[in-house]
Amino acid sequence: MTGFLARRVLGAVITLLAISVIVYVVFYVTPGNVAQITCGPRCSPAQVQQVAGQLHLGDPLYARYWDFLQGLVAGQDYSTGTSVQHCSAPCLGLSYQSDQQVTALILAKLPVSLSLVFGAMVLWLILGVGTGVLSAWRRGRLTERLLTGITLAGVATPVFVIGLLLMIVVCGQLQLLPFPQYVAFTDDPEQWAWNLLLPWLSLALIEAAAFARLTRASMLETLAEDHIRTFRAYGVGERSVIGRHALRGALAPVIALNANNFGSAVGGAVLTETLFGLPGIGQELVHAVKVVDLPVVVGMVLVIGFFVVVANAVADLLYAVADRRVVLA
Amino acid sequence: MRQPSVIARRVAAASVSLVVAAGAAACGPEDNDAKGSGGDSTPHKGGTLTVLNSNPQQDFDPARLYTSGGGNVPSLVFRTLTTRNRENGEAGAKVVPDLATDTGRPNKDATVWTYTLKEGLKYEDGSPITSADIKYGIERSFAPELSGGAPYLRDWLVRAADYQGPYKDKGDTKGLSAIETPDARTIVFHLNKPEGEFPYLATQTQFTPVPKAKDTGTKYEQHPLSSGPYKVVSNENDGERLVLERNTHWSASTDAERKAYPDKIDVRSGLDSSVINQRLSSSQGADAAAVTTDTNLGPAELAKVTGDKELAARVGTGHFGYTDYIAFNPTIKPFDNAQVRQAISYAIDRSSVVNAAGGSALAEPATTFLPNQKSFGYTQYDHFPAGDAGDAAKAKELLKEAGYAKGLTVTLTHSNAKDFETSPEIATAIQDALKKAGITVRLQGLEENDYSDKIHSVKSEPGFFLAHWGADWPSGGPFLAPIFDGRQIVKDGANFNTGLLDDKSVNAEIDAINKLTDLDAAAKRWGALDAKIGERALTVPLFHPVYKRLVGGDVKNVVISDWTGVLDISQVAVK
Amino acid sequence: MSAPGASGARQFWRRLRTQRAALVAAVVVALLVLVALAAPLLTAIEGQDPTTYHPSLVDSARGGVPIGSFGGVSADHWLGVEPQTGRDLFARLVYGARVSLGVALAATVVQVAIGVVVGVAAALGSRLVDQLLSRFTDVIVAMPLMIMALALLAIVPSSFPRPVLVALVIGLIGWGSIAKIVRAQTLTLKGLDYVAAARLSGWGTWRIARRELLPGIAAPVITYAALLVPVDITVEAALSFLGVGVKPPTPSWGQMLTAADVWYQAAPQYLLLPAGALFVTVLALTVLGDGVRTALDPRAASRLRVGTGRKREAKA
Repeated sequence: MTGFLARRVLGAVITLLAISVIVYVVFYVTPGNVAQITCGPRCSPAQVQQVAGQLHLGDPLYARYWDFLQGLVAGQDYSTGTSVQHCSAPCLGLSYQSDQQVTALILAKLPVSLSLVFGAMVLWLILGVGTGVLSAWRRGRLTERLLTGITLAGVATPVFVIGLLLMIVVCGQLQLLPFPQYVAFTDDPEQWAWNLLLPWLSLALIEAAAFARLTRASMLETLAEDHIRTFRAYGVGERSVIGRHALRGALAPVIALNANNFGSAVGGAVLTETLFGLPGIGQELVHAVKVVDLPVVVGMVLVIGFFVVVANAVADLLYAVADRRVVLA
Repeated sequence: MRQPSVIARRVAAASVSLVVAAGAAACGPEDNDAKGSGGDSTPHKGGTLTVLNSNPQQDFDPARLYTSGGGNVPSLVFRTLTTRNRENGEAGAKVVPDLATDTGRPNKDATVWTYTLKEGLKYEDGSPITSADIKYGIERSFAPELSGGAPYLRDWLVRAADYQGPYKDKGDTKGLSAIETPDARTIVFHLNKPEGEFPYLATQTQFTPVPKAKDTGTKYEQHPLSSGPYKVVSNENDGERLVLERNTHWSASTDAERKAYPDKIDVRSGLDSSVINQRLSSSQGADAAAVTTDTNLGPAELAKVTGDKELAARVGTGHFGYTDYIAFNPTIKPFDNAQVRQAISYAIDRSSVVNAAGGSALAEPATTFLPNQKSFGYTQYDHFPAGDAGDAAKAKELLKEAGYAKGLTVTLTHSNAKDFETSPEIATAIQDALKKAGITVRLQGLEENDYSDKIHSVKSEPGFFLAHWGADWPSGGPFLAPIFDGRQIVKDGANFNTGLLDDKSVNAEIDAINKLTDLDAAAKRWGALDAKIGERALTVPLFHPVYKRLVGGDVKNVVISDWTGVLDISQVAVK
Repeated sequence: MSAPGASGARQFWRRLRTQRAALVAAVVVALLVLVALAAPLLTAIEGQDPTTYHPSLVDSARGGVPIGSFGGVSADHWLGVEPQTGRDLFARLVYGARVSLGVALAATVVQVAIGVVVGVAAALGSRLVDQLLSRFTDVIVAMPLMIMALALLAIVPSSFPRPVLVALVIGLIGWGSIAKIVRAQTLTLKGLDYVAAARLSGWGTWRIARRELLPGIAAPVITYAALLVPVDITVEAALSFLGVGVKPPTPSWGQMLTAADVWYQAAPQYLLLPAGALFVTVLALTVLGDGVRTALDPRAASRLRVGTGRKREAKA
């Protein structure tokens, strides 16, 4: 177990470093005059140069990456021109655009994204695994066809279409819910949930189909297995076979997929956040990419990467718990 | 050049404009005498006004804001020497005193401007506003770390070109020598050339007083010291949510312009444009007392709204001085040939371009470079009449004369960003129209930053591209000079004179008009100059956008000036 | 324990033929592909093309909503016209099928190819190879796809054919999950008795991979790929939403959806057409994927779990 953990941590660090290098290289070659964008469209050449100097934009790529690593490990002092800001380790630098510390920015946005993804995950598991089990059980009948159709409609419709339609119908026409507006969980848990309900649903509908398909497939596989046949032969009730034995065997791949999707959804909920105006990581990241705000991009991508890596490790652990035949090495 | 407002096409966070010109475009709505849902249309004090916006107010430092006339939300907190007249239509394009007692007293050749502050002006902490604070506010806008404003101060003030702001030279207390403050209520500006339009410039937020003792540099935007009717109570996530409450030290007796009816203003941004319009049209709960300062109705929403009387009554229409056009680079073949440029001018199908921009309710076809408003000196001309659908025959004839009898293939560069003006939709409309004249158009869609870099660099400027220009203030000066003044060609930085025009007679006329302090007389000559430059076919004017904005059902006293084209938030009441 | 060989293909078809739903789905997919391929012919019959503007067919004063009922349906314009531009919707829909199906299929092929190669190589290779490839897969999985696509699409010069580029970018960034699935499945199979037997009888790694493992991983890969195609179609749509998808005037379903969702109230058919087309495609592909999977390996399920798995190597 200790060996497993140590290896995972080391692996995670290497993965994240590799990601940061890739981001640096990609954005180094991205077109766009960063200094001009940061300074403003009508800045004079002299002003633009000042800004470029201040942001070290003229330095070679390796030097800038080295600075980044130093900040990460040891912290860094940044001069904003008007004052000096200390950014303690782990320091991800200062936003080019706003002079805010990237770590602070992330801490402000992360709760939003996590709220969105956690809630959506609960929903997509309920929807996905539920329909998956039902359709495996009701294989070939009308129920299955209907469920398949609904979940596939989820896959086939981009989130910005589902989300907008949900909003127009639920908030605009039926007026069942107010238009979503993020409220922090710590401020008001009830309002938090009501306001996030539609974003959760939109995101969950997209993901649910994959889970439904996967659950159904592995349920069918498990149901065909010898030990299930044995249970049935011994007269164990169908409900118990499905609920207790088959589902357990079918859960392993679902868990793996879930961890995978949870991680990527932290950053992948870009469209949902954009549409619903949730001030999360994804929304900020898209903006940062547009204005080539490298420190913000690197920081946010690393945070997303972190969640994916952790989620995968958790998945492997759960996988082992769900399916005792897997040994952690 | 101000950034325009967001049109409600699918503008994802992705297309957030580079400079979030704070309060740039203001809000929208309602015909002048349209009523809120209640029968009583008299505005009363009180209540909370919600502002639903697309772009966060990322800059809220008066030094960094790029506004026309002081912006909309910023103008609630920042008072300036002069300001825009808060009235409907044409009257709203006038400049009026704000902190100063008049709009400025020029010397004989308009190179020295003197202002006197009103008496009894106070900040939110009760301390007095002095002329030295205004000088300091301007000085700090020269610091590179607080860059972002319009370039005029640097260009106009004496010995200001290399000034680096007050942070660098801490020992030097004199600061900008071009600005004198002989006493606490007087401020004098020395310009390096005559500028009759200086009063317009003094509306920008750089003319906001900032007391040196309270300056926190780049952190100042978190809590700028208010001189206006509202003060910042909180600024979350870099301008994503801004809450303003009454500044009790502001007095209506010194401020004839701002009405300040609501007690509280809650600005929420980062919203999808279609969601904003959906919320305003549903108008439930707090949204009934909501407006937007940056989001137009899109074509789809307009189609819906026009069929609904209740909604239609809540739409305000405005015109901001703005032109979308095709730009030519005459140093690139075949656009060096005036006949080719004229042929394209003749071939343009403005009705399909207007449709692509949202239809006749959202865009008016343009044949002049200057916006179609009196304050700009608008003079109607149409040198290359193309009618509604383009004159393909005339275009072909010109091409034949130019030696392209067999047709011509050109590349049209545009931005992929989904704003409504340089967007792929407009480009494809042009592509389709020019086909009829035998001109094959290849489209070169560039990512936003790439596009902006290329078209604003003398070295990489394409030959044929979509561009737009907005008014820094409602006059011909800031509209024509940056684009057509030969001395404003920037070789090693952001250049806006895309036609690379450097003509002695044009330059001389610009100088001559700048000397005029009679703004009406100046306007007439700007109009004439525009018509004269138009003959060169360096641009093909396409359309002037029209702003259509929804307001919530409880919103009253909607005032839309020709200066901003959108509802003035300082006039709105929700009770 | 018969490994699918020469007779496998025949068996496969025989089994596929017995599934009615899969057959119907296959016909639908074939039709869609046919429509996409025959787009120029179909629009020629209609007498329209996807790029010509018809300003007279839209009501300019009302934001450019199509004139006439059902979005301007007429003998000239079978499915009506696009708001604002008046371009023919039928033409845009069938030409859009080319781009959307083409991009999605190409992207899926890239994803599957890379994923299978990396996954199998990691499972069968030495510990070091496995470590390297798995780490690399982790990196790819951990990168937010949409963001990297945004950045990559901005870098490549605009002269590069856009649909190809979009397919490549989606393909190159999105193969991580497949690689993981393939690796896990391969590891599972590797521990099974019949593979072990093949190994004992001296088969080479390559031969084992080809003859014993590939048929075994085909089922999950096909199931997953059938879902990937529609996902890739919507990724293309999402890229359009963010402004970096296929460029106008080239139509794609994703682009149409993006432009159409705000028109849902004013011109519903504009949204319903691409949404419906996409839905039918997704449904058909999924049902077909299921059918193929069943036909490929009806006993996969029971065979998979025959071994005790004690010796199986775990996922790292």
